[in-house]
Amino acid sequence: MHHRSRSGWRLWAVKAFKRMSYKNTRLIFLREVRDQLRDRRTLFMVAVLPLLLYPALGVGMAQMLSTFSEQTRLVLVVGADDLPDPPLLDGAQGDTRFVTSWFGVAEDSEKLRVLTDAMPAPAGVEATEVAVRERQFLDEAVEFRAIIEKLGQLTRQREALELKASADAGNKAVQQEYDAVFADELHLKQQVDAWFRTGPAQVLIVVPRGFSGLLSEISVGLANRDDVNELIAQTPRPVIVQNSADEKSMIAARRVREAIRNWNQSVLGARLKAANLPASLPEAVDTTGVDLAAEEELTASMWSKMFPILLVMMSVTGAFYPAIDLGAGEKERGTMETLLISPAKRSEIVLGKFFTIMLFSVATALLNLVSMGITFSYLLSMSAGGAATKLGGLTSLPPLASLCWVVVLVLPLASLFSALSLALAMFARSNKEGQYYLTPLLMITMGLAMFCVSPSVEINPFYSVYPVVGPGLLLKALLLGQPIPHLMAYLCSVLLSSTVYSLMALWWAIEQFKSEEVLFREAERFELKAWLRHVARDRDPTPSSTEAGFCLVLILVLQFASFGVLSSALQKSDSPDWMLKLQTIYLIVTVATPPLLMAAMLTTSIRKTLKLFWPGWKMLGVATLLAVLQPLSMEMLARLKWFFPEPSAGVKQLMASVSSTDVHWLLPLLAFAVAPAICEELAFRGFILSGLERAKCVDSDSALVVRLRTDPHGASAGVQCFAAGNRHRHDGDQQSQPATRGAVSLSVQRHARAAAATQ
Amino acid sequence: MIEVQNLSKRFSDMRRGYVTALAGVTFHVNPGEIFGLLGPNGAGKTTCLRMLSTVLRPTGGRALVAGHDVARHPGRVRASIGFMSNNTGIYDRMTAWELVEYYGRLYGIEEEALQTRLNEVFETLQMNDFRDVLGSKMSTGMKQKVSIARTIVHNPPVLIFDEPTTGLDVLVARAVVKTIESLKGQGKCIIFSTHIMREVEKLCDRIAIIHRGEILAQGTIPELEERYGQPDMEELFFELIQRKEAEVAASR
Repeated sequence: MHHRSRSGWRLWAVKAFKRMSYKNTRLIFLREVRDQLRDRRTLFMVAVLPLLLYPALGVGMAQMLSTFSEQTRLVLVVGADDLPDPPLLDGAQGDTRFVTSWFGVAEDSEKLRVLTDAMPAPAGVEATEVAVRERQFLDEAVEFRAIIEKLGQLTRQREALELKASADAGNKAVQQEYDAVFADELHLKQQVDAWFRTGPAQVLIVVPRGFSGLLSEISVGLANRDDVNELIAQTPRPVIVQNSADEKSMIAARRVREAIRNWNQSVLGARLKAANLPASLPEAVDTTGVDLAAEEELTASMWSKMFPILLVMMSVTGAFYPAIDLGAGEKERGTMETLLISPAKRSEIVLGKFFTIMLFSVATALLNLVSMGITFSYLLSMSAGGAATKLGGLTSLPPLASLCWVVVLVLPLASLFSALSLALAMFARSNKEGQYYLTPLLMITMGLAMFCVSPSVEINPFYSVYPVVGPGLLLKALLLGQPIPHLMAYLCSVLLSSTVYSLMALWWAIEQFKSEEVLFREAERFELKAWLRHVARDRDPTPSSTEAGFCLVLILVLQFASFGVLSSALQKSDSPDWMLKLQTIYLIVTVATPPLLMAAMLTTSIRKTLKLFWPGWKMLGVATLLAVLQPLSMEMLARLKWFFPEPSAGVKQLMASVSSTDVHWLLPLLAFAVAPAICEELAFRGFILSGLERAKCVDSDSALVVRLRTDPHGASAGVQCFAAGNRHRHDGDQQSQPATRGAVSLSVQRHARAAAATQ
Repeated sequence: MIEVQNLSKRFSDMRRGYVTALAGVTFHVNPGEIFGLLGPNGAGKTTCLRMLSTVLRPTGGRALVAGHDVARHPGRVRASIGFMSNNTGIYDRMTAWELVEYYGRLYGIEEEALQTRLNEVFETLQMNDFRDVLGSKMSTGMKQKVSIARTIVHNPPVLIFDEPTTGLDVLVARAVVKTIESLKGQGKCIIFSTHIMREVEKLCDRIAIIHRGEILAQGTIPELEERYGQPDMEELFFELIQRKEAEVAASR
């Protein structure tokens, strides 16, 4: 049988459902649920952990937040006497601090301890070891003063040159000067760093000698309306030394800057007042920001970041452990065969287990959300206002409607994860092995969940049919309060696609459960040599489904690996000629080579594996018809444009190259019609399809879907490009037209043959 | 009741390539009869019995169990057999009563009849003192009794025991053998596989000696003794196996 007929497929489904006894599925479901509820590990994961985790996390976080910032950091000030008025430092209460009013939050002043060279050296009781060491370091800082001031000057100079260089790119003299200053600066920096990192201080401020006097001189000059530009240019600046790689230093420096910024405003204010100028002088364009977001919306945006990721991760974790126990665990404990010899059908057993896993997955996800919600609202009620800022701006729970959406969207997520993890766990021989097989699922899910919460990612038709990403993004949109009628279409496509994925995964799980190799896998030592010999010796005419899957993965990996090579090659030259050649080579290497090599090495009949059969006359007729109807298909494709994301710049460039007139007409034909058609036919409708057919599961439509899925751009762009090329040829070179048509029919004919064969 | 014709099983193995686990065996078992499959480990006994219980699919030949073809009507076959082996364990987190009840329900026994049958089985097998003990807390003997109860709860006409006494102490093994004996008295059709000679001599009406996936000899014990002129069954067993080994070595 070449292709399973579509009616046969439908019949199979109907029969399978008719034969299914819900009684047995229910019996197995109830037993498994009871079994899981008696298992302490599962109960702990599903119920106890979420109920304890969030309160514990909440308390712990609050504790840690409060203790974390209490640490005081040491700031050294060299030349404190030269600081201008109003006072920056306050030495009234025994130890010196920054003046409290320079901070937004007054307590921040407590977190910085200041040591200045104006203070007397510690003596008597105060002369603890630490105090002596700190003083010694301050004395060293005074010695380093000149170097640090020089470093400050170099940094200013370098920054100025940087601006100049970017404004005047290509100016060799500026670049050379910049390089020289940069080298000097680096040298001094290393010198200062070697000394500074050994010391007890986090921030060092060096005030130039006579700084206060210079500033007042400028102020007086300004008041008299003198030209003070020269004076300002000559005035040295205070230097703040920090080490951003050290978090303690970075946080302390941030506070110091805040204080100095506010203090600077005050100094400036005094200067303006003395010069009889308005205080608002520095703000020439004084804008006022108006934020339309209500408080609930800010909260909604917070929840929309948290809920999707939590829902996805918790539903996969909730499926993970029961799946291992119900799949691999049953094998390990030796109860699998007991169940297999009962009258229950394999599909009933899988369904019973699937519903159990799904129940636990949904329960875990919802319990986690409920527990988190309760913990947050409790924390909020405890400390109104103050603590809310620490919890990331969460002031209230999301509205009830959003919570209902959470419940709706957990179902497609949980069903997909349950079916997938059951299939994987069924393959494993033991609990331990099950965890190994399921870990990749967890990792992939985590990646997808992270993608969902990325700020700029929004739901669109293309993402909505993706597993995990679709529900995640839809939930995000719903929580953000986007109008529901607008999202209704997405809701349909998300639920529909998720259902399809779940059914596919479930079908896979049932197939796994029907396979003797999977059920009675013996633990054997893996030897590369023995395995290679086995692969070479025990060949079949067509590949196995595993080999087909491997081929697909290999193609994807090759395409991924070639991205770097391809983009660097494209950057080197943007001649359309070269780009088209590259595209052809790329297709041959990444798409055609794996199936060809694998067919030669792993199967006995390359012809059968790659399905190299001559088409019948009827099919050739259909192909010709489709070729004639090509404008119609172009029109249909243009209407589908909304579905595919905007093609990348590279693809656009590639497409533009086709229309350019200085390319030989054969090249676009090769790159966009012949190469894709042949390469992709070999891979998808050849090797991969014949592998999947051996598992008696596929109709060729699915292979086409796989193809589209892997390369939506290639599929759409390829046809578009080809059409463009075709049109161009039509205008330019009349003679080439038959050849182009021939290529279209070549590519279309294969599709038509397969399509007709399925009907 | 059981008709096996030329049944064979091949499977692919990484190390050995295609392996023939069972190379066309033929035998039949009548009601009220115990048929013994006697062979060393790896002879193909378990493979053969797994195919009769429809867990494995045959790659050649055919088998009828209680009138149903194992390949075409596996569901009907499973409903009419009781199967017990080393690999059919019991659930740790279920009590004896719950487990047997659960399987009774899977066999589709009506609730009322099931309760009567459960009481009857628990009575006969003397299991009432541990009916509410969880599987994880049971002794090996208790577990074996639960397995037997699970095997016979639906009163199947055909019973298959795959090495039911392996790994049991003498007392438990003896109890198992006694139970199987009493089941024969109820007119069941029983297949019993083992590598222990004593059990065969005691229980079986007819035996088949199986090695390397082939039946080397079958018949009643007196028939075999007469045919091979060897009154000691153990000696006969060794002789047959050694002869087969020599054949295999010669053909290489």
